[in-house]
Amino acid sequence: MQPEQILQFSVVTTIVVGASIVLGTITAALMEGRAVAKAFDDMARQPSVSDQIRGLLFVVLAILESTAIYVLLICLILLFANPFANIYGL
Amino acid sequence: MGGITDIFPKTEFLILGIPVRDSIIQSWLIALVILGGALWAHKRFRTWEPRPWQLVIEYFYDYVMTLVRDMGGRALPEVIPLIATMLAYIGIANLLGTLPVLQAPTRDINVSAALSVVSLGAVWYFGIKERGAVAYLRQFLNPLNLISEISRMLSMTLRLFGNIMSGELIVAVVFSLVPPVAPVIFNALTMITSAIQALVFAVLTLVFIISATGVQSRS
Repeated sequence: MQPEQILQFSVVTTIVVGASIVLGTITAALMEGRAVAKAFDDMARQPSVSDQIRGLLFVVLAILESTAIYVLLICLILLFANPFANIYGL
Repeated sequence: MGGITDIFPKTEFLILGIPVRDSIIQSWLIALVILGGALWAHKRFRTWEPRPWQLVIEYFYDYVMTLVRDMGGRALPEVIPLIATMLAYIGIANLLGTLPVLQAPTRDINVSAALSVVSLGAVWYFGIKERGAVAYLRQFLNPLNLISEISRMLSMTLRLFGNIMSGELIVAVVFSLVPPVAPVIFNALTMITSAIQALVFAVLTLVFIISATGVQSRS
């Protein structure tokens, strides 16, 4: 493998990882914000059930967060264990 | 405390050609500690004048009992020990990562996969026990149900692994950038994530078990 190709490979990988982290976290952050806003709304409206809402909110947030975590996993694979790097012997 | 690659699990030694990673040793140690602590607490349990540790254990058990009851598992009291053990084990395993030298064993994807296999096995066990083998396994004539079961397991594995791994990675990256004080903040964030992920894993197992047994619709 030529040095230019190795450079090209790392540059492309870095750009793709940065872009996918940004794009992947945008939607998760937006939706989490909506969930939290709705939950706080209901907690302010009905303080008697706020404990149940808080308990469920954490669970739901963690599940919503997992979509962003999947993006992070893909990025980690691309960075540290890229399958194409082994194929081309980088 | 070297580079970022230190947080990936390493092979310690081989048994009959099978590599044994350090995460396996850590998870066995945690299991032994929990088992020993439970036996010790069982022996020293007393009704009058409970000592502080006994109150902590009782509070924990009461918390799990309330959780099971709120989720609709009132008819399934035998699920409480499973959920409590899962919560304690995953909680300790995740919080081990915030200690300076140690790392969380759940950062290894194999440990997370084993835990989710336990969760799937519990779902099948309780489903077959409550509804009968034929009635429960009949739903898998529809292959979509089988696919959803597998994807559920996969998502639980990846969720636990990804959260713990990302927490460790963030702390390692910040440590390599600004060693003095900055990692403390991210360590605190990681502690919250670890505790919540343990809770989420246990609650999801509970929800799947209850939906598999169908006790909620009956009561």
